[in-house]
Formats: sequence, C-alpha cells, structure tokens
Amino acid sequence: MKRAVIRLDLKTLLIGAAALALPSLSAQAADHGAAGAAIDQLLPVCQSCHGEHGAKPIVPEYPVLAGQYASYIEHALKDYRSGARKNAVMKAQAANLTDADIAALSQYFAHQASPIYTFKLEQQK
Amino acid sequence: MKLARRGIMALAALLSLPAAAAGDPAAGRDKSDTCVGCHGIPFYVNAYPNYRVPKLGGQQPAYLVAALKAYRSGERPHPTMRAQASSMTDQDMEDIAAFLTQAPRHPSDKAEK
Repeated sequence: MKRAVIRLDLKTLLIGAAALALPSLSAQAADHGAAGAAIDQLLPVCQSCHGEHGAKPIVPEYPVLAGQYASYIEHALKDYRSGARKNAVMKAQAANLTDADIAALSQYFAHQASPIYTFKLEQQK
Repeated sequence: MKLARRGIMALAALLSLPAAAAGDPAAGRDKSDTCVGCHGIPFYVNAYPNYRVPKLGGQQPAYLVAALKAYRSGERPHPTMRAQASSMTDQDMEDIAAFLTQAPRHPSDKAEK
C-alpha cells in the first residue's frame, strides 16, 4: 500500500515537472518578481551596454553582470549612486534608482545564466 | 614622399599602441596568488560593508584591468584592493586579467545567486 502511494507520487511528479517546464520558462521571461513593472523599464537600459541578461557586454571594458553575486551588484550600484565609485556613465544611470530598484536589478542579474564563476589556481606541476 | 608619409603613419600607429603588451595568462597565474585568498573562495564575504566578493573567473579582461587601475588610482575605494593594485604595473594587470578570464573553475562553484 505504502509502496503504491510512493509510485504514484513519483509518476505525478515526473508528469508535473514535464508539463511545468515550458510554461515556467516563459513565465520567468515575462515576470521578474515583485518589482516587475519598474524592472521591465530599467532592464533595457542596463542591457543596452551589458548585453542580453547582462551576459554579453557590448565593449570589453564593461563587466558581465549575469551570475554575479546580488550583494556585490547592489554594493556597486549604491557606490555609483553615492559617487563613492567614480564612473560618469554609471553615476548617471544609478542616480535615480531607489533601493528597491537596486535590489530587484541585483537579484535579476544574479540569477541569469552566466559565463562568470569563482576561479581556482591550477595545481602547481 | 609617399614613403615618408607611410613612415609617419606607421610611427603614429606604433605610438598609439597601449603601453602594456597583451596579457600573458601563464605569467598572470603566478601573479594571482593573492587574489585567490578572497576571490577564489565561493561565497566569500567582504567584512565591511557586507557583500560577497565578486566572481572574477570568465570576466571580461579589459574590465578587470580597468577595475585594477581604478583601485590603484583611488577612483574605486577599497583599502585592500587599493593596497593590492598599488604594487602592480600595467603589465601585471594585463597578465592577471588574461589569466582570470580563462582560469579554471572552482570545483564547488555551481551556478548560484
């Protein structure tokens, strides 16, 4: 009896996962979470330099944002906003962002598929 | 005359080259020993203010060089990074960036937040 229940649950889970896979991907593209409306207006501005999903900057001097730690992106944006980190382009972009905008943007970029990672030194040969 | 003009153009092209040569990843690996203490540890946290130390592996090399130069000049405020960058030449920065952009991945860095 118990075994039958478990089998049913597994089957349900598998079918459910397959059925949900596609809808959840498109839902993710349309909805960026709580601050959805604001971020939909802000994202195109970021992406015009940092590339689609922040993963492909248009010039080599600009960083990849996709996959970077949210807390670091947040710190960077706040430093640009305050002027602690000096960069004319980014200061202008960050000037009017609210803390909520910054939090939403940081979360968005942190969760994108990313070419960046924590590196290690190769073993000395 | 034509030749002289060409000579002048070649000289101008030469002078406009950046002072540091393209980065050497092998040299950069040897210069990255101090980076790894913070940037080589997944989720490592900067003490104050509190935020995670950024991932550098796979990052754009020209951005990494620009960041190091900004730390060296003081444009970017961070005492530890300023101390690190202040002892680096432009060539050191190019080499380190060339290594980091294609450095091996830390085994416990799975795609995360």
